[in-house]
Amino acid sequence: MPRRVFVTGMGIVSGLGIGLEETLSSLKNSRSGIGKIKYLDTVHDLPCAEVPLSEMEMKHLLDIPADKIVTRTALMAILAAKEALQNSRFPVKEGYRIAFINGTTVGGMEKSELYYFDFLENDTRNDYIEAHDCGSLTETIADYFGAFSYVSTPSTACSSAANAIVLGMNLIENRLVDAAVVGGSECITKFHLNGFNSLMILDKEPCRPFDATRAGLNLGEGAAFLVLEPEELCSQRGVEPLCRVSGYGNACDAYHQTASSPEGKGAALAMKKALEMSGIDSYSVNYINAHGTGTSNNDESEGRAIMSVFGDHIPPVSSTKGLTGHTTSAAGGVEAVISILAMLYRFIPANVNFRNQMPELSFSPVAEMVENVDLKHVLSNSFGFGGNNTSVIFSKE
Amino acid sequence: MDELVLKLKEEIIEVLNLEEVKPEDIDDNAPLFGDGLGLDSIDALELIVLMEKNYGIKLQDANQGKEIFKSINTMADYIAKNRKK
Amino acid sequence: MHIKPIYINGLSAISIQEPLSTNGILSPTAYQQPHVRCIEPNFRDFFDPIASRRMSKVIKRAIVTARRSLEDAGIQMPDAIVTGTGLGCVEDTEKFLEAMIRNEEKFLQPAYFIQSTHNTISSQIAIHLGCNGYNNTYIHRGASFENGLMDVLLLFAKSEIGTALVTGNDEMTPAYFTFLKRLGYWKDEVSDSLALVKNGCGEGSFAGEGSVSVVLSDKISEHSYARIVGSDLFYRPQDTIVKRLQHFLAENNISADEIDWVLTGQNGDSANDAVYQPVIDYFGKEKSGFYKHICGEFFTASAFGLMVASVFLKQRSVPAHATLNGVEKKPVNKMLIYNHFKNKDHSFILLSSC
Repeated sequence: MPRRVFVTGMGIVSGLGIGLEETLSSLKNSRSGIGKIKYLDTVHDLPCAEVPLSEMEMKHLLDIPADKIVTRTALMAILAAKEALQNSRFPVKEGYRIAFINGTTVGGMEKSELYYFDFLENDTRNDYIEAHDCGSLTETIADYFGAFSYVSTPSTACSSAANAIVLGMNLIENRLVDAAVVGGSECITKFHLNGFNSLMILDKEPCRPFDATRAGLNLGEGAAFLVLEPEELCSQRGVEPLCRVSGYGNACDAYHQTASSPEGKGAALAMKKALEMSGIDSYSVNYINAHGTGTSNNDESEGRAIMSVFGDHIPPVSSTKGLTGHTTSAAGGVEAVISILAMLYRFIPANVNFRNQMPELSFSPVAEMVENVDLKHVLSNSFGFGGNNTSVIFSKE
Repeated sequence: MDELVLKLKEEIIEVLNLEEVKPEDIDDNAPLFGDGLGLDSIDALELIVLMEKNYGIKLQDANQGKEIFKSINTMADYIAKNRKK
Repeated sequence: MHIKPIYINGLSAISIQEPLSTNGILSPTAYQQPHVRCIEPNFRDFFDPIASRRMSKVIKRAIVTARRSLEDAGIQMPDAIVTGTGLGCVEDTEKFLEAMIRNEEKFLQPAYFIQSTHNTISSQIAIHLGCNGYNNTYIHRGASFENGLMDVLLLFAKSEIGTALVTGNDEMTPAYFTFLKRLGYWKDEVSDSLALVKNGCGEGSFAGEGSVSVVLSDKISEHSYARIVGSDLFYRPQDTIVKRLQHFLAENNISADEIDWVLTGQNGDSANDAVYQPVIDYFGKEKSGFYKHICGEFFTASAFGLMVASVFLKQRSVPAHATLNGVEKKPVNKMLIYNHFKNKDHSFILLSSC
């Protein structure tokens, strides 16, 4: 019988706000964080969901000196991880082996893209060379806390944070660590804003996931982390867990570098594997927090995959990317927190901006927030470029 | 028009990195996507960038590419009619 | 972590030595410059030019070594594909980034962006093989490969998989070489790369690059190179490394005397090499050696280290060029690999011959 792994704390910053309370309020009021770009210096005028704080403001909140070199992504991540640890009341300095696993793709690119030619030509920005790679970001965050004996950086584009949850679970099950802080962080950079723009998958209006007229995604940014612990440690510490991570599925679509297969083969496989590991059947899932980016390709592919797995008993489905934007590498973490909040506070967050049924799909998403629902098992999907598909199931017990 | 067709073929070969393909290997009427040259959706996006950069034609919707990029001839026709450079 | 027997059944590498061969491990070529690039096979033998039109060098190398290592292991489809890469796809990142800056965010080619996302290596291997199994990518500095390795070992331990392809890939473009030079990674001059570790003093090593693919299985084969007995990966330890090592050996029911040889990531940089000294002293100089003189320094060089260790274990001896005391070592049946990155990330891998 594998060790059961529970969530004892969480933390989040995103376009929905700073911290769990603001996030919950935004979700319940279907208040979207998507709007005009305020912090990123770009020529493009595209709707995005930025974290509503400048780097100076974040440093101030964390008591970090203004002149210390800390990237925007690192600041977001520290805020979110701090909340998660406080939330869980985990005794970080008592000799427990704790892992920190941070999914990210941009790393320090937000600064590298500003100083690239300095990197080539002079020594004025060497600190930022050091900060460029993904692992460097993870270690900067870990070092703020000084509490971690295992650090890692999964980087699978939009499923990075979900894969962080998977690794955390496996480390705990195999008894390599006593607890794990897992999730992801990503700020919007010109690099990937322009990258997605060159793929012509950004909507110039607020996005409409699962809508027949959808025209692409809006980028978001954020950081979100869960604290995972094994059952016996929760009992020992006398903490009431928030929920259990009951299973995951990681499968590769193996179809194309950016497009998902029309029938959503990899997505369906990931969901099936998650159900199998959780030991529940498809009828037991009460809510699916979809990847639902709002692109023509993803929503059709994911929709078909959901149909193939759930047949005639598709549970309520919503994509919350109309509220948070697509937070890319952080999405698996942001949406894990949203899924767990939904479970704890008994509501289904809205798939905003939905008006037109997709003719290819047999279901429509939940367009308005629904309250007073019992969610025993919630499935969260995160599907990355290159077909890196990961589904995670959170269960009440 | 012949000049444009040749120039277009050379630009396509370069931007899509079609090593070992010469302009004379590309049939003017053969499909560029699927069968024929075997290009895919990413190549279509590259051609959209090429049209904007070299000919000043900006496509707002990637789907417009389906008709325009059917063959070298359809592409050259479209450019001849809409070019701003 | 002590694990059930996992076998290294397939290996392949493209590096600064002879490609797709173990010749360079047994008799490496010496270099006289601080930046050495891969010797590549003729990629036309492996790819149709149109099908590979978007593939950068790092992708081509990865797919070729992946295929070759699977052939070596006699497996068509692994249950999992996991890649470690320290910097991802640098060349395409540079192309997109430079164009973005120069063109002020206009006329940007999507192919470079797509090719720059780090997980494209692992996913293109999967596309090439048609593999729908578990797929992951780790980007964690000088421990990227070990992170990938640990991921699959955890899956093996749960019996979630029976076979895995684990790869380490990095490219060192001229630009990135320059960036890292600013941080003191490289020597100004190298007179003999093979003597760099032995004669190592002062700052810096020499830069290599490469792709290494390793196929693991929970079943032994007649071609198995070695067996993985245990592995550990840790960050900023509170204890000394030697204490940590003693705990690791005890966990794996093995005494220090039973270890025939220790392979370290020494690279000719004094500060880097000093961190290995307590472990070298613990086992004795006559039982210690290195591998980065063969492949150069890059973030996933430790993948090459695992390949080197496996090749030596298969022949049960270590050639003189890889030993600290310059004397061939045999027999070798139990080997420890120790790598660290900036004295922050540390890894042990315990191997035994089959």
